[in-house]
Amino acid sequence: MSLRVFGLNLLKNNRSLLQNALRNNGAPGAQVLAVAPYTTQVTVQATPAAVQKQKVSKAMKAYLERANEHDEFMKTQDLEFQIGKRHLANMMGADAETFTQEDINEAIAYLFPSGLFDKRARPAMRTPEEVFPARKAAEFDETGRPFHSMFYTGKPNFFQLLHDIVKETNYLYDLEERMLRRGNKPDENQKLETAGFQLLSKDQLERVLVEHIVDIEYQSFTNAMERLMSSPYSYKSKAFIERFLKPLIDQSKQLEVPKPKIDEQGRQYITTYECLRKTARADVTVRLPGTGKITINGQDITYFSMDECREQLLFPLSYSEMLGKVDVEANVEGGGPSGQAGAIRWGIAMSLRSFVDQEMIESMRLAGLLTRDYRRRERKKFGQEGARRKYTWKKR
Amino acid sequence: MKMFRKQFGNLSRVSTHLSRNVLAARVAYRDVEMSTNAAPAEDVTSPPAVNEFRTGVTNPGDHSDVQVGKFYTIPLEEKKQIFSGGGLTKKYEQQIKTFTEACIMVRSPALELLHYIKNADLSKPVVRYVLYGDNGVGKTLSMAHVLHYGALNDFLLVHVPWAPNWMKRPKESANSATQEGFIDLPFDAAAWLIHFKTQNSKLLERLQLKTSKEYVWSKRESTPAGASLIELVEHGIARIKYASETTAALISELKQLATAGQCKIMVAIDGYNAFFHPVTRIFSDNKQRVTPDRITLTQPFLDITNYDWTNGVCILSVDKIAMTEGYMDSYLPRYLLGKEGFEHLDPFVPVHVGNYTEKEFVSYINYYLDRNWITKTQPGFEEQLKFMSNMNPYTLMQLVRSL
Amino acid sequence: MAYVPATTLNILRFSKLSRLMSMYPSHFAEPNLNKITDRKSASHIPVKAATNDLSDSIFYGELKNKLIKYITKKGNRNLAKELLNETFETIKRTQIERLNLNKGDKTSVIINSEQLLINAIENSRPLLQLSAIKRGGVKYQVPVPVTEKKSYFLAMKWLLDAAREKDRKVHLPEKLAWEILDAACGQGRVVKKKDDLHRQCESNRAYAHYRWS
Repeated sequence: MSLRVFGLNLLKNNRSLLQNALRNNGAPGAQVLAVAPYTTQVTVQATPAAVQKQKVSKAMKAYLERANEHDEFMKTQDLEFQIGKRHLANMMGADAETFTQEDINEAIAYLFPSGLFDKRARPAMRTPEEVFPARKAAEFDETGRPFHSMFYTGKPNFFQLLHDIVKETNYLYDLEERMLRRGNKPDENQKLETAGFQLLSKDQLERVLVEHIVDIEYQSFTNAMERLMSSPYSYKSKAFIERFLKPLIDQSKQLEVPKPKIDEQGRQYITTYECLRKTARADVTVRLPGTGKITINGQDITYFSMDECREQLLFPLSYSEMLGKVDVEANVEGGGPSGQAGAIRWGIAMSLRSFVDQEMIESMRLAGLLTRDYRRRERKKFGQEGARRKYTWKKR
Repeated sequence: MKMFRKQFGNLSRVSTHLSRNVLAARVAYRDVEMSTNAAPAEDVTSPPAVNEFRTGVTNPGDHSDVQVGKFYTIPLEEKKQIFSGGGLTKKYEQQIKTFTEACIMVRSPALELLHYIKNADLSKPVVRYVLYGDNGVGKTLSMAHVLHYGALNDFLLVHVPWAPNWMKRPKESANSATQEGFIDLPFDAAAWLIHFKTQNSKLLERLQLKTSKEYVWSKRESTPAGASLIELVEHGIARIKYASETTAALISELKQLATAGQCKIMVAIDGYNAFFHPVTRIFSDNKQRVTPDRITLTQPFLDITNYDWTNGVCILSVDKIAMTEGYMDSYLPRYLLGKEGFEHLDPFVPVHVGNYTEKEFVSYINYYLDRNWITKTQPGFEEQLKFMSNMNPYTLMQLVRSL
Repeated sequence: MAYVPATTLNILRFSKLSRLMSMYPSHFAEPNLNKITDRKSASHIPVKAATNDLSDSIFYGELKNKLIKYITKKGNRNLAKELLNETFETIKRTQIERLNLNKGDKTSVIINSEQLLINAIENSRPLLQLSAIKRGGVKYQVPVPVTEKKSYFLAMKWLLDAAREKDRKVHLPEKLAWEILDAACGQGRVVKKKDDLHRQCESNRAYAHYRWS
């Protein structure tokens, strides 16, 4: 059973490292990158014969030792995990063969209830491949000679990637020039669609490369990729580009619009509960055929004395052109005036979705009306004057 | 309902359009006039054209429900006579200055009051009317409208522009010479006397009112019986020390004269509840707060708001702002006047002043557009202003100023 | 308006490095109030929540908002807003009085105070700036071009500084209003300051090459 152990300096795993990267990614787009042959496989089984005959470098020897040890370790871990799973299944009265990871999570949450806030700090049981991070396999042969020409940069995979990108770009430039000379134009229909995609983030790229990179290196990666994608013939190297793209979720289809209900007077209405902003909490009801009346805790708009707050309430209504067409009722508590106004604004915007067309919803989303504002007050830190400001420091 | 609203919106848009056209026409007209030989100063003060938000009827006595929501112009001379010592709010004075005309909107509370006053039997004891309403709804301006009526209809005006001024920021306070333990506000009293004189000098000259008894101020100074009221007032202004007593004398004289039927009196006191609010900013010699009933200036004004005289009307307004912090929970007269004040006034006629109605609001917006005061006229700006201001006159004024 | 806010340019950008301490992930776009945008490219991009000074009402102005932020002291934005409103009121009053003097000739006098503010800022924007660069132990005042954003900042800062520095007994809105009116017609201390700076840059043009060598 491989319950999480921290701070253990583990030995390297020489088995399929990329699978781990995959599992951690979880995104379907990452499947494509699995092809990337960044880890040179030196199978342990193949080596012993060579080891005995040839002169083996010290580094290789140490590596082999470590690899063996790690293999053993992983084997025992895996065994323990299987046993643990079986036990758990028995405890929960389920079939051990069909006991999935989700069932395990459920069982652990049930058997070890934890009040810890951070989910990652709670007890968990996962496969050892997931718990122990992947490491690179040997990058050199038995004599200690590196396989990769850029081994001594320390980040051969990363620099290889940059080289590859530039090679592709140069190829596309050449192509463009040839086509230009021939008078051909790039095919508009095949144009590379990058709208719904995003480049891999830094840590995702790190997992793919099995190398640590720094910010500036990541930036040169994004710059190179953007140059490659901006080429009119970028569809020619679609397969290459797509390895580093991750699909974005369609935001406009993200939230389901509720159907309005009908009240006693035959008016449509929608109530949005739990409208939160800062420490304020509100629930907002919007009724469709209305006269623009607004009620906040039983009062009219004079509930807010500041112009700014009133303007906030006005924002979604005037933006969606529903001002004077709907009635709004709100109950709000907690927080200050601007927080309360923000909470009600969000509630109005969310409720109005049921009464406007899809295009307007999308506009409202782009105006930032449908995003919940999660920002909170930042705490003061000790040894500092405030959240960020330091005490004035004088040398003497 | 929806249809109606739509039509209404269209109407308002058309009306703004019209008003702009009217302005253009006026400008053109002026140009023509200029090219002949008209003095440029004249056309600024000349009565502007009558349209759907203006009325040509400048006599408040003739106003009726037809004129509700329309603006009428107070001629500059009359404005100078009535309001030079206060009576319009500071912001409104500023607005008058920039718009180069003194316009007041005819609103239903003022009309209601005028209706009462016109039909009142003056031989009966005076009726007290109390204007009340939330902050910034136009109590003072309604009162100004009625005051204008009073000035045109031979009422002697006893007008206190803002009573809390005496309790909150007196210019000087001194111990009273005649009454033990009382406080005099000589400068404020003199200022009020000047205000009284400017408002009523013409009428006083015409009526030739005489004092009924001799007033002895000191060993050497006295006002004999049979002297005209103007002399009395002049004395108070000249000898500031005796201004408070002169005020008291003047008011008791006025009361007697009115009861005798020699004149009609219109009493108008803004922020009347200040006379009953125990917290003031006047301190006696031993650093104690002085309650309003220990101020010599309050006595005559409380006296004249009693119902023991005839031939007059009392228009009072109660205001939240006349109170001090912590006493501003409600704008209803019972709360603001307190038990004592309420009993003092009981029975009175309450007149509620409220926010703008739809018509008044549209008319006001049109007026602002006509005066070039609103420069941002995106579609739907009226709706936005309505939402933001809640149709409260003062809030609307504040909102519009930066547009 | 020549002022191009960053918000309009921000949509559809691939994830760069995130700004430190931001609550939002780096690929979140700034809210965009323009209703006509490229929907297809935008539909996948999550948007930050609109801040509480954003609005599409008649009271809102991009440049106005910026100026409010510069006026604000100790987080009292309400007061700053009030001051700016009063400034606008004063400007509008003087302009309307001028209009009345001009006998209603609408073409010669601008009444829109926000337009006047924009004009004033455009008039007082610097193009170049002097920055001290050390070469061979000697500091040279080298003329350096100013970015657009910074030029707007400087213009607004100068306006405010000029207003704050005048007679202390006069209320800020009044002083600011006069500065804005002056700058809007290309006179006044702020425009002079800008011209002085430009003149200095002109006289130091010999040092310009120190910027890169």
